[in-house]
Amino acid sequence: MSPAATPAPSLAPHALRHRRSVRRLTAGQLADLRQAITAAQAIADDRGYQAWAGIHGLPLPISCVHHRELFLPWHRAYLYMFEKALQERVPGVTLPWWDWTTHHAEGIPEAYSKRRAAGAKNPLFDSPIQPSGREAPSQTRTVRAPGRPGELPSPAQVRFVLGNHDFLTFQTQLESIHDGVHVWTGGTMGSIPTAAYDPLFYAHHCMIDRLWYLWQLRHPGAGVPHALLDRPLAPFPLTVRDTLDVTHLGYDYAASTAAAAGPGHG
Amino acid sequence: MVDRFTSQPIELPPAGHEFERADLIFYGLDHSGDSFEARVFLDQRGVGRDADREHRAYVGSFFILGHGGCFGDVGHCDVPRERDSFDLRPAHQLEPATRIVTVTEAVRALLEKGAEAAKVTVVAETEGRASNDVLSFDRVRLVAYA
Repeated sequence: MSPAATPAPSLAPHALRHRRSVRRLTAGQLADLRQAITAAQAIADDRGYQAWAGIHGLPLPISCVHHRELFLPWHRAYLYMFEKALQERVPGVTLPWWDWTTHHAEGIPEAYSKRRAAGAKNPLFDSPIQPSGREAPSQTRTVRAPGRPGELPSPAQVRFVLGNHDFLTFQTQLESIHDGVHVWTGGTMGSIPTAAYDPLFYAHHCMIDRLWYLWQLRHPGAGVPHALLDRPLAPFPLTVRDTLDVTHLGYDYAASTAAAAGPGHG
Repeated sequence: MVDRFTSQPIELPPAGHEFERADLIFYGLDHSGDSFEARVFLDQRGVGRDADREHRAYVGSFFILGHGGCFGDVGHCDVPRERDSFDLRPAHQLEPATRIVTVTEAVRALLEKGAEAAKVTVVAETEGRASNDVLSFDRVRLVAYA
């Protein structure tokens, strides 16, 4: 599942942010992600983590799109907006993806499953749930109840789904796999109204978005039905058409990246 | 809502007619309640209550991420029966879902055994919930693509 055959992006590579596998983040990249989530959790207004989680689920209205034809575009827009909010806290930070087709023995990646990290509480382990976001009053924090790791989707299942030529068939089968990972993770992730309060939600959906990206590369002649292209993705100021090219949204997918400063011009 | 359902026999593609792929398509699936896995079986007689993923007639699963019930006032989760053509609002959250399970090899195997029709059994399984009565759909169709 390597994007090794990725064509050159339509924007200059230096202008793009790269999303990476959570298992290949450098220590610094993971620290940036944790810092961004922690900073977003500290904001109580509509720029904060709780507000963003609430857009997907409770409090009403539940704005996410599931089981309908805009599932992939809506969630691409949602991740884009959330990632922008994180970048206001830590410039350059990007969302990582959780490749649940590999490392089945590990299950949930260690970056998200360790209660503590670097001597402090790990903000990727769980999250508070604002009172208006709870399904029940006792649901004050996110929890998980993962299934057996071997029951996560296999590479063969994903390869089969990526082989679909028709977008709507591809999306329907990918959404079923997506739903299965939500069910496998269990707890807060297992229900639409609360799922986005779990920090793991964004790594899971980043994987789903990446699979759509890989499908787009594999089927350049196929695409979203024309009738859907100008549909808005409320509450975001984007249409389906705006989401078709990730490089126009300023990001790309890479297995891993690292950089070092040059000598400058002095 | 039920926890399992077995369809009437569905006709298989005519023997001798090649096809590349066969899908079971489930229309009108309810997703208002708890999340669940739906295990799908394809067999001439239907399968018993003890059927699991190891059963010879098991052909795959689909998953539904559910809404977990209604969090609004009375009527909040009632899906409108009709929409007029000037209604530009987004579709209701609980418009029913569609799921596709690809069953190409299973259909070929049934044809090789001389079967002309098969029953679809769906068994719903929630994780850790008291009830598995979450299954509701309008129709299941077998589609073979040449």
